[in-house]
Amino acid sequence: MSTATLALLTLALPASAALVLAVVPILRTKGWPAATLAVLSAFLSFGCALGVLSRCLADPTPEVLAVPWLRTSNAVLAEVGVRVDGVVASMLVVVTLVALCVQVFSIGYMHDEPRPAFGRYFAYHALFLLSMNVLVVAPNLLQLFVGWELVGVTSYLLIGFYYRKPSAARAALKAFWVTKFADMGFLAGLLTLFAASGKFAWDARLAPGAATAVTMLLFLAVVGKSAQFPLHVWLPDAMEGPTPVSALLHAATMVAAGVFLVVRADPLFAQAEATRTVMLALGAATALFAACLALVQTDIKKVLAYSTCSQLGYMIAALGAGSMLAGFFHLTTHAFFKALLFLAAGSAIHAVHSNEIGEMGGLARRMPVTGAAFVIGALALAGVPGFSGFFSKDLVLEAVEGKLAGVPWAALLVTAFLTAFYMGRVVVVAFLGAPSGAKAEHAREPGWSMRGPLVVLAALAAGTGLFTASFAHLYGREYHFEMGVGPSIAAALALAGFGAAFAVFGRRGASLPRVLGLVDRLARASAVDRFYEFGYRRVAVTVAGGLGWLDRYVVDGLINLLGYEALEAGERSRAVQTGFAPDYLLAAMLGVVGLAAWGVLR
Amino acid sequence: MSLSSCLLLSAALFSVGVYGLLARRHLVAILLSIELMANAANVAFVAFGRFHGGTLGQTFTVFAIALTVAEVAVGLALAMLLFRRHGDTALAVATETKG
Amino acid sequence: MEAGGFALISVALLVSAIAVVRGRNLVHAVLWLGMTLLSTAALYAMLDASFVAGVQVLLYVGGVVTLMIFGVMITLHGDGKPPEIYVARDGAAAATALALFSAIAWAIEATPGLDASSAPAAVSIADVGRVILRDQLLAFETISMLLLAAIIGAIVVARRKDPGTRTSPSAALEAAARAAE
Repeated sequence: MSTATLALLTLALPASAALVLAVVPILRTKGWPAATLAVLSAFLSFGCALGVLSRCLADPTPEVLAVPWLRTSNAVLAEVGVRVDGVVASMLVVVTLVALCVQVFSIGYMHDEPRPAFGRYFAYHALFLLSMNVLVVAPNLLQLFVGWELVGVTSYLLIGFYYRKPSAARAALKAFWVTKFADMGFLAGLLTLFAASGKFAWDARLAPGAATAVTMLLFLAVVGKSAQFPLHVWLPDAMEGPTPVSALLHAATMVAAGVFLVVRADPLFAQAEATRTVMLALGAATALFAACLALVQTDIKKVLAYSTCSQLGYMIAALGAGSMLAGFFHLTTHAFFKALLFLAAGSAIHAVHSNEIGEMGGLARRMPVTGAAFVIGALALAGVPGFSGFFSKDLVLEAVEGKLAGVPWAALLVTAFLTAFYMGRVVVVAFLGAPSGAKAEHAREPGWSMRGPLVVLAALAAGTGLFTASFAHLYGREYHFEMGVGPSIAAALALAGFGAAFAVFGRRGASLPRVLGLVDRLARASAVDRFYEFGYRRVAVTVAGGLGWLDRYVVDGLINLLGYEALEAGERSRAVQTGFAPDYLLAAMLGVVGLAAWGVLR
Repeated sequence: MSLSSCLLLSAALFSVGVYGLLARRHLVAILLSIELMANAANVAFVAFGRFHGGTLGQTFTVFAIALTVAEVAVGLALAMLLFRRHGDTALAVATETKG
Repeated sequence: MEAGGFALISVALLVSAIAVVRGRNLVHAVLWLGMTLLSTAALYAMLDASFVAGVQVLLYVGGVVTLMIFGVMITLHGDGKPPEIYVARDGAAAATALALFSAIAWAIEATPGLDASSAPAAVSIADVGRVILRDQLLAFETISMLLLAAIIGAIVVARRKDPGTRTSPSAALEAAARAAE
């Protein structure tokens, strides 16, 4: 079986599961059959992904398995199928592995849901895995776009899973709208690319202006999907979905799709230095901005959400600096430790029945596995030496160093400090110390369906750093680790951040001085939302109202007028039918006269 | 006496019948006018038969007379029905097909 | 001599025809129709169509005129007076009739060679009989079927429904009509 076929299986397996669950509703309503099907397909899919990766490590030449899709009479415009290379292989492993862990975790986490909802949840998961894989293995940008939109839909379905909750429904819509707005950029970029090169491939050679246009438009889509400023506003709200969903979609995979897109379209972005500069600046700015916002959140999921924004900023900045390796490697490590953090948080939330860190406390003693997992994740995220995050952040910092007068590099360093600081805060407040109340006191460790994935992901979060060299090899690069200036500063900042957190929050009942912290940051955070609300309420609604009036009174009016006129014409024609026989006779005779005259005149 | 004069006479008779058809109110009067028109046609036929030869003129006329008689019978039956329904014999009262 | 006879018959024909359509009394109009038909018969005789002339007198003058008189009598109102016929829509009718006559007259005048041919051989009654009863037998039989249909149709249309058998709208109308008389 060829590598590409194996990769195709990673698509086909969740596709079959999703299809079966779609057409046989009883499997969903009973709950467990759907879960079994979904988890099984995810597991097999992961197996295939491992197979693909091992083959790619042995032989890194790309392989394509595709059939013509869009055709004109004399050319094939686009194909659909599978393209496998090192990037795809590693991304597939990441996606399927995290998806598998999350799905297994969900068995325990969603256990108390009613059966039909339970089944629906897993059906959506199968659908998501399919969509994400379609995106990853895409041989051209058009299929990537299809996968892109599909994951957007699945995200909507899963964020709004608790659809009876108004805030969840609103959050799902918000996510969909914001990303849809960004996707306009993708579409425009695709069309521009096609107009400039006649294909949807990312290895087209374009004129500089065209390259900049296309890449800027694609970057707009990335800003939306990967929640960069100013389109980051949907990600915190997306925490309304079940926590495993947040782990999978909004930490590890879907939001990383933006980064993945840039990595794929590297040949295009390489032709547009302007876009890369924008990416570098925006990524670094978002990283710093989001880290500040994470600092003042009390909901543990929101902390992690802003943290995700921030780390995505790191990735974007790395890509803007030109290093695909750094960006992609950080994506990989981030997927593992962020998913780990979310699942551990989910375990805590499940035990305490609350998202607020203020209502937790001392969980490490009551839930050792969860506590350890969270701490490992936090250490990896902060970039403490030895953990995976340290190595990937090191690569990012190395890439960004020296560009744009060192401003992004400095920003990322400050962010590293803040990252350690806010994660330290959560660790101290939620896991260390004493329980804050009755809820925290009754916390218990969850079952093995939830602990198992935590262990797996913790191992990965800790150990992936060892594979940095192999990873680089997949990229055709050599990597040697040296504890130079950059990494040392980063390590020091991480440790300092944790230390500061311990110092500030270790004392009972401490919080950041309100004047400095909350007011300022919250104002900045909600300003973006208020701007959007203004735009929506005033501009969009007004324009929509105007267009609606046009539609109802002009367009419909025209049609109604035609219909009315037809009726009126009929009414008027009725007058001829007087029922008055002498009238008819007269008409007949006039006809005869007419005929006679015509006969004569011919 | 020539063909054209006979035909003119026929035309004149026919026209008088048309006038009666359109101007009269009583249904039976209208039937009388129809009789005039049929009669005028027959005159034309016989004239053609006389001046152009052949039996067609006369035979056709015989058949036409038979047809006209049948038509009168039915027409008078209708007139009686009209009178019974509306109490008046004017054609104008039969407005059931209005609209 | 011939021309004078023709002129006389023509005048009689036209005068009586106009009297039919302009008469105020319906019974008089029917009688004038009889006069018209008789004049026509005379014309047929002049045109060497004696058989047709005979048929004309028999069927038209004898049958149709009688029928018409009956029709008038049956549709009389209760007071027994001959109905007054109001002539309506004079202008349009006259104009239409005039237009028609002009058109046909012009057609007649415009057709060449109408009077050119010599008088052909006269047709005997035997010839006519042969055509009707032998050559055009199908048409003849069809006409008899048509007459049968006309008789049946006339009876069906004009029959008075028995009030006792079924209540129908026409019966109700008839009752109302009779009450109104």
